[in-house]
Amino acid sequence: MKKILVADDEMAIRLLYSEELKEEGYEVYTASNGKEALEIVEKVPLDLVILDIKMPVMDGIEALRQIKERYPHLPVVLSTAYGEYKQDFATWASDEYLVKSSDLEDLRATVKRYLKD
Amino acid sequence: MDMGSDRTAFLTQMVEISTSTISFGERLGNLVHLLARHLRIDLALYFGLDKSKEVLTLQVSSQGPVPVSGRLEFRLGQGVVGEAAATRQIRLAYRYQEGVLAANAGLEKLLPEYQTLAAFPVADDNFLYGVLLLADHRERTFSVAERQTIHLVTLMLASTVRQALLQEDSKKRIAELSVLFEVGKALSATMELDELLERVVSTTAKVITARGAALHIVDRVTGQTKVSSQYGQVPPQICPIMPAAPVAAAPMEPPFLQGQTRDAEGRTHYYLIVPLTFKGQLEGSLCVFDKISPEGEFQPFDPENRQLLFTMAGLIVNALENALTYQQVESLAERNERMVHNLTALQEISRALLTTVQRERLLEILLQGLIHPQGLGFDRAVVLMVDEPSQTLQGVKGAQRLPEDQFPPLSEALTQPPVHSLAVSDWQIPLRPDCGSLALAVLQQRSFHVHHREPGTLAPLSQHFTAQEFFIAPMVVKDRATGVILVDNQASGRPLEPEPLHVLQMLATQAALVLENARLYSTIEANNRELMLIRERMLESDRLAALSSLASGMAHEIRNPLVSIGGFARRIGKLVDKDSPLRGYVEVIQEEVSRLEKLLKEILDFTGENLSYFGDHDLDQILEDTLILVQRDLDAHNIKVVKELAPLPRLHCDDRQLKQVFYNLFTNARQAMSQGGTLTVRTYTVEREDGLYAAAEVSDTGGGIPLEVLHNIFNPFFSTKDYGTGLGLSIAQRIVSRHYGQIEVKNELGKGVTFIVTLPIAKYCLVKDAGRGAAPAGALHVPTGGR
Repeated sequence: MKKILVADDEMAIRLLYSEELKEEGYEVYTASNGKEALEIVEKVPLDLVILDIKMPVMDGIEALRQIKERYPHLPVVLSTAYGEYKQDFATWASDEYLVKSSDLEDLRATVKRYLKD
Repeated sequence: MDMGSDRTAFLTQMVEISTSTISFGERLGNLVHLLARHLRIDLALYFGLDKSKEVLTLQVSSQGPVPVSGRLEFRLGQGVVGEAAATRQIRLAYRYQEGVLAANAGLEKLLPEYQTLAAFPVADDNFLYGVLLLADHRERTFSVAERQTIHLVTLMLASTVRQALLQEDSKKRIAELSVLFEVGKALSATMELDELLERVVSTTAKVITARGAALHIVDRVTGQTKVSSQYGQVPPQICPIMPAAPVAAAPMEPPFLQGQTRDAEGRTHYYLIVPLTFKGQLEGSLCVFDKISPEGEFQPFDPENRQLLFTMAGLIVNALENALTYQQVESLAERNERMVHNLTALQEISRALLTTVQRERLLEILLQGLIHPQGLGFDRAVVLMVDEPSQTLQGVKGAQRLPEDQFPPLSEALTQPPVHSLAVSDWQIPLRPDCGSLALAVLQQRSFHVHHREPGTLAPLSQHFTAQEFFIAPMVVKDRATGVILVDNQASGRPLEPEPLHVLQMLATQAALVLENARLYSTIEANNRELMLIRERMLESDRLAALSSLASGMAHEIRNPLVSIGGFARRIGKLVDKDSPLRGYVEVIQEEVSRLEKLLKEILDFTGENLSYFGDHDLDQILEDTLILVQRDLDAHNIKVVKELAPLPRLHCDDRQLKQVFYNLFTNARQAMSQGGTLTVRTYTVEREDGLYAAAEVSDTGGGIPLEVLHNIFNPFFSTKDYGTGLGLSIAQRIVSRHYGQIEVKNELGKGVTFIVTLPIAKYCLVKDAGRGAAPAGALHVPTGGR
């Protein structure tokens, strides 16, 4: 079973995403900030990381940088309420940039694309 | 009777007579008579010495009145009488003595067979008045006592004669003085000079008892006759003599010219002329002629007449000089008054000119001041200003007054525009020396006073303006003629007086200054307005930045809960039975959340512009890229795309934002052409005064925008569409403004709409000239033409 980490400071989002992804048949871990996310990445052999950008303690951009430093091949998807930074995600070395939407079709499709095999 | 008391009685009588109030003639007669009786002498005579002091004439006789026919005279030294007078010694002569009879021939008649003649000088300490002659039939001598008595009597006679002379003299003086007083009174009276001179001339004639008098005054330099006045008909022979008097007069004190002429009938005319000498360049003569004796005969003038005439001449000179001075003073005062009036007007106009900096008002004040009767009072006035680029003099504003015009007081009139303006806007005069006085006034910076219009002086204006006499004053500021003021009095035909023209020149200088100030002020004002605009725009962009950061913050906060609500609603929807009413409710939640999310996206797009990424980009490429985004959509709606893209310099811009602009324009065009059509995209460069611009036109064939909504198209939140927020054009406009460009709309009803986006190419001038390129919504050029 593929392992996915969802890091978001909003409990409701964490719940929504993990419910949705579990239903798709993934094992979901959650973290409420970048620091927690890094701890899980160290412990668990993950297949995909979904990071919110704006989070307390450590934001998604910093967490992304550190993850990519140690695990350059681990796919990381940024999921954010800020649509306007979409153009710059490549410079941040993330693999995907998702604007949060109540329609989770985008999320499911993206996850599927990275974890299809 | 004893001798002593007799003598005393005699002397008492003598004193009484000489101090009595009877006439001098009677007194003399009585004295002589009494003496003859007292001395028992046959005859006592008094001979008076005449004014020439050469002839002694019998005046009084002890025998009674002296008949006129028995006139008896002795020359000085002739006979005993003449000898006594000449020597001032007593002379005694006896008939038997040789030569006595012959020497005293006239006396034989008065006392035939006389034997003794005794002559006693009648004199006081200073003067000899005459001689007392005693004659007797007997040969007799005079005792010492008798001689003493006679001496006393001669003294009394001398005193009486002296008194008589003095009195006569006094009377004459009084008469003269009263005449002079009359003349002086006349001269100082406030009557017209002509009338006054007439009176002086007639009085002069009357005082001297002349038949007439004449006064003649000429200007020594011009020879022009200034004054000519006469009383009585001047004999024609005398006329030519008068003007020569000042030169020909005898060099005596007083100078005079005296003589006689004979007329055709053989009558002799006497004349007396004295020259008149003035301080200035006037000279003249005063003449009297034909002195009339009591018997009505013409007679020559005597030295007293000369003295009197000389005095009169002096009075006339004085009076005339006073009058001339007065005239000068009066004309000076009048000029002064006019000057004061004009200066008051000037001050009033100047004050009014300082109340405003608006060119239009300044011109109104200036013209009103020029034509107002209390101002400079011209009939017409026109202001022309130099147009530097075309090197012409342009008519700016003109005014005239009509005879029936009623003017309020000047100060009030200056607050209003002139009632009758002149159409001068099409006056245009090239600034060349061959283009008449108006051009010359500017080129030479000097005034022109044209008295009789010669052909060509107003040549370029002849169809607008005709006047015989006119005046042109240049308006000069800092050694530069900025215009001219043209005035005339053609309508009323009054000549142009020097004073108002003088004031006009002063006014022209001031007008030039205030108009220049107004021009500078308006430049400053324009700059200021521009700065205000820039400041406003900066404030607005600050506000927008604040607003957008607030809005974007809020939008982000809202987005998370919305995602949760919508996401869970979808999850609930999957769990609910198809037939359950809950399913509908959940779907409502999902749709509403979707709508909110879409709105959020648009708001974030609109406010998120402050995150911009400027770089050098190719506008044609931006258009191509954007077209790709909408290509499928356009194909689906059967819309053909025509591209006319010219090579352009690269623009300093945020390409993503510009793509947004054209995306919005293309989307609008597509929506306007729901039944298909042609989308034309053109680019080209535009040269403007502030630099080079790139222009991109997006045209559709969708029938155009209805006029009633045209003015609203850039209004955020306005939309004719049933979906969307209507922010599309508003966002586009905002983005273009941020690039200091403009969006224009050309709307052709029935055909379509063309949006023209112009963007400045020079990048570094943008910030400096921010105010120019930017197009605030209000200043947007939206032509509403169309068919």
